[in-house]
Amino acid sequence: MGAFLLRRIFQGMLVVLGVTLVVFVATRMVGDPAKVMLPLSATDAQRAAFNHQMGLDRPLGAQFITFVGDLSTLDFGDSLWQRRPAIQIVFERLPNTLALIGLGLGLAVTLSLPLGALAALRPGGVADRVVVFGGLFGLSLPQFWLGLLMIMFFAVTLKILPTSGVGGPSHYILPAVTLAIPSLARLMMLVRSSVIDELNQQYVRTARAKGMRFHTILFGHALRNALVPFLTLAGWEFISALAGYTVVVETVFAWPGLGLTAMKAIERSDLFLLQAIVFTVAIMIVIVNILLDVLYKLIDPRIKLA
Amino acid sequence: MTLIRNLLSGVVFAAMAALPAVAASASEVTIAIGSEPSTLDPQQRDDGGERAINDNIYETLMARTPAGELVPGLAAAAPTQIDATTWEFKLRPGVTFTNGEPFNADAVVASVTRIIDPALKSEQMSYFGTIKSAEKVDDVTVRIITTGADPILPSRMYWMKMVPAAYSKDPNFATAPVGTGPYELDSWSRGESVVLKANPKYWGGAPAIDQVNYRFISEPGTRMSGLMAGELDVITNLLPEFVASVPKSEAVQGLETSVIILSTENPTVKDLKVREALNLAVDRKALAESLFSGYATPTKGQLVNPRAFGYNKALEPYPYDPEKARALIKEAGAEGKTITLVGEAGRWLKDRELIEAVGAYWDAVGVKTDIQINEFGEYLNQLFDKAKRPDAIFVVNSNELLDADRETSFAYQAGGTATSNTDKELAEWVIAARTETDVAKRQALYDEVTKKAHDNYYLVPLLNQQDIYGFSKRLDWKPRVDSKLLVKEMKVTEE
Repeated sequence: MGAFLLRRIFQGMLVVLGVTLVVFVATRMVGDPAKVMLPLSATDAQRAAFNHQMGLDRPLGAQFITFVGDLSTLDFGDSLWQRRPAIQIVFERLPNTLALIGLGLGLAVTLSLPLGALAALRPGGVADRVVVFGGLFGLSLPQFWLGLLMIMFFAVTLKILPTSGVGGPSHYILPAVTLAIPSLARLMMLVRSSVIDELNQQYVRTARAKGMRFHTILFGHALRNALVPFLTLAGWEFISALAGYTVVVETVFAWPGLGLTAMKAIERSDLFLLQAIVFTVAIMIVIVNILLDVLYKLIDPRIKLA
Repeated sequence: MTLIRNLLSGVVFAAMAALPAVAASASEVTIAIGSEPSTLDPQQRDDGGERAINDNIYETLMARTPAGELVPGLAAAAPTQIDATTWEFKLRPGVTFTNGEPFNADAVVASVTRIIDPALKSEQMSYFGTIKSAEKVDDVTVRIITTGADPILPSRMYWMKMVPAAYSKDPNFATAPVGTGPYELDSWSRGESVVLKANPKYWGGAPAIDQVNYRFISEPGTRMSGLMAGELDVITNLLPEFVASVPKSEAVQGLETSVIILSTENPTVKDLKVREALNLAVDRKALAESLFSGYATPTKGQLVNPRAFGYNKALEPYPYDPEKARALIKEAGAEGKTITLVGEAGRWLKDRELIEAVGAYWDAVGVKTDIQINEFGEYLNQLFDKAKRPDAIFVVNSNELLDADRETSFAYQAGGTATSNTDKELAEWVIAARTETDVAKRQALYDEVTKKAHDNYYLVPLLNQQDIYGFSKRLDWKPRVDSKLLVKEMKVTEE
């Protein structure tokens, strides 16, 4: 286990470095900050002066050496947009996004297991039909529209929840639910199909034949075996949310999270902030992947960690 | 409905306790702006979110009336010209910053010196590129020296915020602003809100509203929901189609004008007849009515903002005459020829819709419009590319200083940022107007510039857009031509 962890951490560091290098090159190839940030009326000379002041007219190699040198102290330079350390902005916004993902995904995970299992007990039954219909419905709703619809209903018509922004606990409800719905739908459908598969396995019939109680079979075996693909999907949901899928929800609910910040950094060609965001997200994805591997092993001891 | 409401209320009972303070107090307003200020340093960035807030904290030597007329602000009177490159400002005496520092000639010199210092890396330099230095004459008299003759200097000083001489060097200056204005910062919770409170010692008298809360909401639908739910009092950039749904709204002629710039060098569009046809083909009135629900005004044959100095009152709008346009295209032998129209999407209100509508109008008179909607960075590369001009490129120009130099140096003068003509004579006129200090002669030069460009169809000016604001029922305010959100002009009525 120890050797495995060390190996994975080393591999993870390579991944993070690779991603950062790609971002470094890509951001410098695509956008010209002076063009995007200065007023349209600025002259070419003023644009050139701006790039010079920001050190963006130096040769790419020299810029890269500075970049890697500063990386060791987590210094990503000052954001062009906010004129303060980029990493400071990331640390300010990351908790907001993590809280949203934690709540939304927590909701999706806790509801999807019982609902999916319930549907699987009698495929084609009433509960199953409701779950399948609800799942397809949840999957086909555009999040953007769903968010606005919930605002209109709960905040404007009923006036029981705030429309947007951060503040008290009530501000979390609508964005977290909006974020949860597609994930809940996907996870619920997966639990349903895996449990149906498991319940049709030979070992289930054997267990029932020898008189084992059904809920022991369901919870002790079928659901446990169904947990491995479930964990993979839940991990994917977490990673994709972190990698930017929260941006729609953050936009609709004016939520000051990392996704919205990343989008604004792209809009403004803020390379320094973008690098800091991608670096942080890459590290978190690597950590989540390592944790998932460890969890697999705990659930299913047959899995070999390589 | 009552039952549902009660049930739901029960479910979220705990949450209710934490509901945000709904804008209720008569002396408090909540304003939604599109983006959070990146900094509260008033001299560093070119940022609408920063301006919306700092316009209430800081002041400038010159100000504008709601209708756009330039009047003295922190200056006691309009500046006088000592010689071609020197302007003298008399300052309003007895004004202090909210930290107690005096506003005097030293503060003006410090403000000017700070913003033109390359070490500040100010994005506002495109407004102040002509300023060389500032000199104190006595405590209430200051001279500003420009690199060449600069008739626009008084307008420029309407854009430069005055900062305190000593405190502006403090490292906290960007997060804890101190100005001379009617409001001072109360708190800034990043990502959440900025709160201002009235400056009781304001030289112009304490403002009617005691507290201003700013919230940052980029999505127009969410902004409108906040207004409808009673959380907000003022929202900016209300979409024309939402006007009917909000409690109250006001519109005012804005700073932005949309235009398509035609190349005089490229095949097909280099033919004057084709350029005329492309102008006659567009029904601007229909565009204003259908796309902007009437909240836009067709341009009158020029890009210059109608409120700006240098606007040509004598020019006739290009008529909508598709018959003549079709005949001209036929005459020029341009039938079925392709014209590339470059644009972007999402940066300006209804940009894509406008571009596509114009493309359809052009197609209807016989040419083939190839619309290229590009990512903004790539679009800017094409807009700024001096060597290879697109046949036609869409842009929205904003004239913050309300002076025709902006439009003429941007899209009229050969070699300008977005110009696609090579007319040397026109360029000379634009340059001459920039340094002409005689007001009447300067206006005459701009009249010539806009007339010649009009007659040569260098541009397809489209619409001057209006700014639409949504208000809560209790808010009373007339929006300003310069788009500034000045809270000291707002009032709330008791409910």
